[in-house]
Amino acid sequence: MRRSRVLVHVLLALGALGMVAPFIWQFLTSLKTLHHATQVPPTLAPDWRWQNYAQIFDLIPFGQQFLNTVLMTGARAIGQVLFCSMAAYAFARLRFPGRTFIFGIFLSVLMVPPQLFIIPQYEIIARLGWLNSLPALIVPGLFSAFGTFLLRQFFLGLPVELDEAARLDGANPLRIWWSIMLPLARPGLVALGILTTIWSWNDFFWPLVVNNDPEKMTLSAGLASLQGQFMTDYPVLMAGSLLASLPVIAVFVVMQRQFVQGIAFTGTKG
Amino acid sequence: MAWIGRRAGALLGVAALMMATAACGGGDTGNDDPNAKVTLSYAVWDKNQVPAMQQLATAFTAENPNITIDVQLTPWETYWTKMKAAATGGAAPDVFWMNGPNYQLYATNGVLAPLDEKIAADKVDLSSYPQALIDLYTVEGKHYGLPKDFDTVGLWYNKELFDAAGVGYPDATWTWDTFKQAAAKLTDKSKGQYAIGANLSSAQEYQYNTIFQAGGSVISADGKKAGYADPATIEGLKFWTDLIKDGYSPDLKTMTDTVPLNLFESGKTAMYYGGSWNVAEFTANEYTKTRVAAAPLPKGVKSATVIHGLVNVVSAKSAHPDAAWKFVKFLGGRTAAEQLGKSGVIPAYNGTQAGWAAAHPELNLQAAFLDQVPNAVAYPISRNTAAWQELETTYLTPAWNQQKDVAAAATELAKAMDESLAKE
Repeated sequence: MRRSRVLVHVLLALGALGMVAPFIWQFLTSLKTLHHATQVPPTLAPDWRWQNYAQIFDLIPFGQQFLNTVLMTGARAIGQVLFCSMAAYAFARLRFPGRTFIFGIFLSVLMVPPQLFIIPQYEIIARLGWLNSLPALIVPGLFSAFGTFLLRQFFLGLPVELDEAARLDGANPLRIWWSIMLPLARPGLVALGILTTIWSWNDFFWPLVVNNDPEKMTLSAGLASLQGQFMTDYPVLMAGSLLASLPVIAVFVVMQRQFVQGIAFTGTKG
Repeated sequence: MAWIGRRAGALLGVAALMMATAACGGGDTGNDDPNAKVTLSYAVWDKNQVPAMQQLATAFTAENPNITIDVQLTPWETYWTKMKAAATGGAAPDVFWMNGPNYQLYATNGVLAPLDEKIAADKVDLSSYPQALIDLYTVEGKHYGLPKDFDTVGLWYNKELFDAAGVGYPDATWTWDTFKQAAAKLTDKSKGQYAIGANLSSAQEYQYNTIFQAGGSVISADGKKAGYADPATIEGLKFWTDLIKDGYSPDLKTMTDTVPLNLFESGKTAMYYGGSWNVAEFTANEYTKTRVAAAPLPKGVKSATVIHGLVNVVSAKSAHPDAAWKFVKFLGGRTAAEQLGKSGVIPAYNGTQAGWAAAHPELNLQAAFLDQVPNAVAYPISRNTAAWQELETTYLTPAWNQQKDVAAAATELAKAMDESLAKE
């Protein structure tokens, strides 16, 4: 009995180490010289070059890009929760002609690889005159077919009697959505919010394509610009990436329970 | 997965460019007032050259106070995908960097403004640039860009390992035979040390050079037929597969895990076929800084090195074509070239290159890279270069893995490449 528990703990500890190893490696690399970072066979020992961290702030407008990333992530998360829950409520409860058909078209969006949207989206943004701006980062991420689908399934699981009771009391659909559905759907909304946050924070390609000015870029795109064609200073890049992932790690530590529930609930991590 | 993604991306890009052509009818006729305030966007992909580009932009604005330049950096990995989106969306930068493999695709799809009339009107002398570079960027007799810089390939070597093995440093007298004799002495498997990494991931640094040295070709001059069935070309490929077979190079699997550049930078290989662009890396790395130097590539039937370079091009949809041309002309001129040479790349303008080599006399750059220009052969391209470059990797991998005879692999490659070229 005791021995098997020890075994379980050893196994779990090994598993945990395996999961944390890339972060430890990243941290150690961020403190190495370029030579030691690319050496074969690799060495573990860092050179304690803390100046790699200082260098990030000279190379890219880190503070401004951090702010852009926070604004983009926050606005997208709030927007998706709001708009997706509205659409999801309509698809789950309201009866209107062509509902199934429209929902089918909606779902078909999920079948298309997202890369295909890049060029048309770019053209739309270009014609709106929004290239190289904060709205260009935010607006295309405000809506999501996946979020709508997720919340619709959630709403379908709620008892219809609640709606009916509210309607008898004279509540209009907007009121029912706001006062009845949203409070009940909290776990689903939190899950969607968390997924959107992770996805937006990591979103790389769209911010890179649509914005040119370093002051208008997000951290993911800004860090990518540290890669040269023929030469990359990996220790500095690692230092920057580590700084960029700290906020997500902090959010995770604070909201660990919701994270795990949310991911278990949706069965995906985005 | 990444491979599939890249391939899908390439197809998407081609489709997008064709849409772009269909969408753009007549070209814009720019602003007539030469003194109106104008801002030009200038897209570049190398972070390390951004400071130099900013300096050139400032110098240009000093001469032309009404034109300011906005230098925009997109990292190499995503530059072309972004460019395709921008070109299709009609929002390509006014002026941007263009390379050989992408040139004909963009030029023949109407994304680039033809410059011949302007070159003639302003009497820009194209013989101021290496001929091979001008050839590379001539498509159907037309020019769409002015050369910015170029690079050639040389033999980098680790002096410490040469000293330890008692082998004399490589120089212009080296032939393939000298190279192989040295390779045998420089290989010490007990220490995990090899003479060189015979990789297949970068034809420009590896097999294209030896193909040309053997007197072979990659693609015919008219860009319609593959050169891989030519016995001379096969000799050029055999140079590399023999190195693996004889054990002077790690096998392909090892080099997939650790790229030859890192092996060389860790003292695990004594030599490295690399470009002039490696100067930046080798002088920044604490290990190579004091240990490496360069020499010309060993001679086969003849001397040859692959030359490639960039041109500055003007978007066909630029709202300010005249200002954009003025900037491109400035960038292609002697003053700009002299400044560019100080930033670590070889300027394309003839007679301005010596400064680049003089910055690191200990590396022997003049002999290794600049003196080779008369022997240089242009980087092979066609209208859809990416399509057959992928075939090269696919068909040659079994030969590099020693699973297939080189001649058989090359002959099959020639057939597949001919089919690909027929579709262009």
